[in-house]
Amino acid sequence: MRLKDKFKQLKKENRGAFIAYVPFGFPNPSATKNICLSLERGGADVIELGIPFSDPLADGPIIQAATTKALANGANIDKFFSCLGSLDKVLTIPVAVMTYYNPIFKFGISQFFKQLKKYKVSAVLVVDLPLEESDEYLKQARKYDIDTIFFITPTTDKERIKRIVRSTKGFIYYISITGITGPKDIAYGAITKQIKGIKKLSNLPVCVGFGIHSAKQVAEVNKFSDGAIVGSSIVKFIEGNYDKKDFLRRLERYTASLCMK
Amino acid sequence: MSLPNKKGYFGAFGGKYIPETLSVCLKELENAYNSYKRDSKFKQSLSFYLNEYAGRPTPLYFAQRISKQLGLKVYLKREDLLHTGAHKINNALGQALLAKHMGKHRVIAETGAGQHGVAVATVCSLLSLDCDIYMGAEDVKRQQMNVLRMKVLGANVIPVESGSKTLKDACNEAFRDWVTNVRTTYYLLGSAVGPHPYPMMVRDFQAPIGIEARSQILKKEGRLPDYLLACVGGGSNSIGLFYPFFADKQVKFIGVEAAGFGLGGYHSASLVKGEPGVFQGSLSYVLQDEFGQIKNAHSVAPGLDYPGVGPEHSYYKVSKRAKYEAVSDDQAVEGFRFLSELEGIIPALESAHAIYYLKPLAKKNKGKTVIVCLSGRGDKDLDIIKEYNQKKQRK
Ligand SMILES: Cc1ncc(COP(=O)(O)O)c(C=O)c1O
Repeated sequence: MRLKDKFKQLKKENRGAFIAYVPFGFPNPSATKNICLSLERGGADVIELGIPFSDPLADGPIIQAATTKALANGANIDKFFSCLGSLDKVLTIPVAVMTYYNPIFKFGISQFFKQLKKYKVSAVLVVDLPLEESDEYLKQARKYDIDTIFFITPTTDKERIKRIVRSTKGFIYYISITGITGPKDIAYGAITKQIKGIKKLSNLPVCVGFGIHSAKQVAEVNKFSDGAIVGSSIVKFIEGNYDKKDFLRRLERYTASLCMK
Repeated sequence: MSLPNKKGYFGAFGGKYIPETLSVCLKELENAYNSYKRDSKFKQSLSFYLNEYAGRPTPLYFAQRISKQLGLKVYLKREDLLHTGAHKINNALGQALLAKHMGKHRVIAETGAGQHGVAVATVCSLLSLDCDIYMGAEDVKRQQMNVLRMKVLGANVIPVESGSKTLKDACNEAFRDWVTNVRTTYYLLGSAVGPHPYPMMVRDFQAPIGIEARSQILKKEGRLPDYLLACVGGGSNSIGLFYPFFADKQVKFIGVEAAGFGLGGYHSASLVKGEPGVFQGSLSYVLQDEFGQIKNAHSVAPGLDYPGVGPEHSYYKVSKRAKYEAVSDDQAVEGFRFLSELEGIIPALESAHAIYYLKPLAKKNKGKTVIVCLSGRGDKDLDIIKEYNQKKQRK
């Protein structure tokens, strides 16, 4: 499924998206498929699947530890693609791939997008690839019709916002804080204002991520945005529960509690 | 000469591969640097501190005994004689003055050997700036004297427990802090690496090494040297020496990386053994696996223990302006002893890599004139040498 269609559907239902981030390969490569399916059953509208990178400099301790574990347990880009292949037939919600630039660069930009297309990935986000460095990346993404999600943060000025929205497809990722991933308090007032500003410049859905870790925050954020992205607290839940007997059911219930379903 | 170009590229290398949060702030830094480097007051205060405080110009010392033994004319550019004991102070002063001009009150930095950390702690004390230094937990153990020095100078040393617990992880941690506190904090990067404008800025602040060496050798020898030799970690002391000779095509540049346990095992030879990749803000040579994951580096010299290298060096490599070689831990220790015993100068283990390389160089180049950058002094490394000796004895 494409993000576009998902957001259309959400609009009809008059609610915001619940976007769940998990790193591929955490706690091990064979776990990811079922984790994604649990997230979907629990009510996730979109899955943001991370390709682990050894030096995740925009991530806080929770996600950093998880991706380190994933790599130690053999997660790599080849296994990532075969996981996407196994999800292809069973997952009905859109997948957005999140990573850092070097794994893509090493794999080959064109080859990377070709694979994403093959496995029907809807969009891609790269944390350390700002607009200025993304000419070739955008060219290949357009060729294979993959949406490119760029970030807007509290430090992004209006001039940049104008340029960023022009190259963004799928949705705009608004980073709620200056800082790294991990549970934080959210300044709703300031974010509301920023999102209003962005909405004047673009018709794209705007989703908010970084810091969101509770059902209450998800609900609040979805009052003024088109979606809430939750990563660290899901990762933390997986870390604390994956060796329990009914782990997948627990994860499903936890997801449902986050999006209040 | 327009290196780098407007986008911060040296040929195919460089750029700004950074999280969006830092974009506007890096632009701000770039603008500040571009205006201050032309500002006569800024230039005056920098040269005041370099001369009166740090101890520039440093001597270009003709090393008689090693020259005789090797059959070369060896000159040492004595950055080890600077305040705090290494070339790092040149850059720390430049950037700290810039931070002050930009109205930032807090400075953060990463450090491997501790030399950059000590330099930053020093200038922060001098200029009354708050100072937090990230240092890999492994390096905290290896360089305890420098940790103590930083603390005495009033800096806060934060041990980093993630990853390989060395320089690369300290660098990640400093970036994370910067992303979080970017509005109030100046990130004083320690080498010619990272996103634009850092590689350019650090090179410029280290260029006095080469500018002085050039005029000193012309005075002493009446001609330019045949070779320039310097160790390459991130690449700052080497680029500081090389860059002012860039247009002197007859002068050959040799950068010496750390071959660690050997080029087949753990090492830090990013240019010799790495491949182009995007790491910590720029596109440059980096040690990585087939999936683009960054490998852990190793060197007996903590300041070389880094899997990346500055983009300008990648450009020099590809354009063949410089040649890059690698020297192992054992060889570096041999270089360390060689200089200590023959000249009464204890070099930093980092610099000892460049010193050692004089030996293979001498084989085919009798009579040639070489300038070696002695980037720092070796007091900080005595514990490592002690442990190294004990390990060898046990074997
Ligand atoms: C004495 C000394 N030399 C060399 C280096 C390597 O850094 P660079 O390659 O940036 O000069 C260091 C780094 O800590 C150092 O302390």
